[in-house]
Amino acid sequence: MDLLAKSSPNRIGDRRKRLIPLVSLIVIVVLVGLAASQGAIVMQRRVILALIYLVAVVGLYIFVGNSGVLSFASSAFMAIGAYTTAIVTMAPNMKSTFLPDLPAFLAIQHMPPLAGIMLGGFMAALIAAVIGAPLMRLSGISAGIATLSLMVIVYIVFGNWDSVTGGQRSLMGLVGYVKLPQATLFAIGAIVIAFIYQESRGALMLRASREDPVAAAASGIRITRHRWIAFVLSAFVTGIAGALFAHLQGTVRIESFYLSLTFLLLAMLIVGGSQSLAGAVMGALALSLLGEILRQLERGVPILQFDLKIPGGLGDIVMALCLLLILMFRPLGLAGGRELTFSRNRTSGDNG
Amino acid sequence: MALSAQSVNVRFGGVRAVTDVSLRLDQGEILGLVGPNGAGKTTLVNVLSGFQRPAEGDVQIDGQSVRAQPPHWFPANGVVRTFQSVRLFMGLTVSENIEAALTVAGYSRRSARAKAGDLLDYLGLAERRDTIASALNYSDERRVGIARALALNPRFLLMDEPAAGMNAAEVDELGVLIHAIRKDFGCGVLVIEHNMRLISDLCERLHVIVQGATLAVGAPEDIWGLPEFRSAYLGATS
Ligand SMILES: Nc1ncnc2c1ncn2[C@@H]1O[C@H](COP(=O)(O)OP(=O)(O)OP(=O)(O)O)[C@@H](O)[C@H]1O
Ligand SMILES: [Mg+2]
Repeated sequence: MDLLAKSSPNRIGDRRKRLIPLVSLIVIVVLVGLAASQGAIVMQRRVILALIYLVAVVGLYIFVGNSGVLSFASSAFMAIGAYTTAIVTMAPNMKSTFLPDLPAFLAIQHMPPLAGIMLGGFMAALIAAVIGAPLMRLSGISAGIATLSLMVIVYIVFGNWDSVTGGQRSLMGLVGYVKLPQATLFAIGAIVIAFIYQESRGALMLRASREDPVAAAASGIRITRHRWIAFVLSAFVTGIAGALFAHLQGTVRIESFYLSLTFLLLAMLIVGGSQSLAGAVMGALALSLLGEILRQLERGVPILQFDLKIPGGLGDIVMALCLLLILMFRPLGLAGGRELTFSRNRTSGDNG
Repeated sequence: MALSAQSVNVRFGGVRAVTDVSLRLDQGEILGLVGPNGAGKTTLVNVLSGFQRPAEGDVQIDGQSVRAQPPHWFPANGVVRTFQSVRLFMGLTVSENIEAALTVAGYSRRSARAKAGDLLDYLGLAERRDTIASALNYSDERRVGIARALALNPRFLLMDEPAAGMNAAEVDELGVLIHAIRKDFGCGVLVIEHNMRLISDLCERLHVIVQGATLAVGAPEDIWGLPEFRSAYLGATS
């Protein structure tokens, strides 16, 4: 018993060392933002989009990475975030054009974009909180399939709820609030949230349950509760990504929030490595970069007197091939389940 | 202060895994649960730790019925079990395996790390602290499993074949460790074990089950002498 009462002294610098993974990721994102600020407007837009994907992938990581349960719900939460901010930030006269049947208390709202974006995150979290309660009781594959249904349901509801979402029509005229500095700051914010969460007691318990749910229960871990918390936090960050997306495009269409988006985000997470925050960040940036290169190639790149051009559609195939190669040869992803620590081998021990 | 099963029955489809077994584990004692393969020992531990709800019968802690509680309730109330197949959190480090249990017991992340260090010292695993659990050898793996259980500060510790796969020297060390655990934690220990030398070194009392039913309960020297025990045990294992 007294064994559990004494404790060894804390090592100096231990705390600072724990922050290295966080700081390295922030530095990477800032460097990406700074580099892009020197580029052309078109290029800047691509980088902003990459940073928004990064926010969404980090959001997905919060749940999938820590719980080990697959989720296809990303595009649903992004849609909720995007439509929420559209409805509360669009100018009332625009709304009377696009959404004539919008309930009055929504029709009169004219919030600033930042408020709309945050509200988008909260709405996604709220929906996740309600739906997650029964969902998180399911195990493994069933839970994954249930999130897929959630995505389909949101897609169908938003695509037909004419009075509130405009149904199949696009909503236009959103403030183009998201520029490079905003995108960079939100990316950093998402990383900080995910890092603080993963350092929490609940996240450690959740990762334990990811490794072995039976042993976790035998250790007193309330798996359902901790999954739910991660799911809600994940939805919050993902919802914000959706709202940012809306304020980048200036328009919102339900078609943007379906299978292809969810799969892109999952591919990013898997390529980077779903079991570390570094993996989520690296995957988002790496696949965005690859996607951009392939896009350029599909359009044709002049090299000397030749025009290097790959057939349209080949880009998607190359993308899928990358995913396949990673799954086969590096199942833990580019980051291999580790954070960026710049220290020697993790297994060698750090206290001599 | 006792954990008990009362007239417990467990059936899997047509198989009667446990038939009308009553078992008591007192705080501070070391009880051996022995019987041939497939006798129902693990199933009984599952019942005592909330992983298997008995079809009939009751599970009690200090006279209070706890049979309706979910598995995660038991560690919080002093009943901690280990697994025949250990079941560490394989992708986490040794220290994180222990810390996960400590945070359940209410420690902050920082204090959990320090306490995990103490526990690993106690088990002689200090230099394994930052090793990923999947890289451990068999005997270290088993000891980490015990450390994780101890992190939950058990009043009743249920160990499912803790010596499986260990060599003679490791079994001796394990015997010393289990004696130390009883003394330092003041808990009751139930040990499922096939190694009769370890059993007679450790246990004041044995509970023998054969084909799901209690054959005998008593002091080891009395049990060894029973002809039914010899024939059941030696007859059923091959
Ligand atoms: N989940 C299950 N479903 C069906 N049958 C089971 C299940 N678990 C155990 N059994 C059966 O119940 C009986 C008792 O199994 P149990 O694992 O409790 O035995 P044991 O005494 O622990 O054996 P061992 O020494 O091999 O570990 C066996 O016949 C086994 O096949
Ligand atoms: Mg067994």
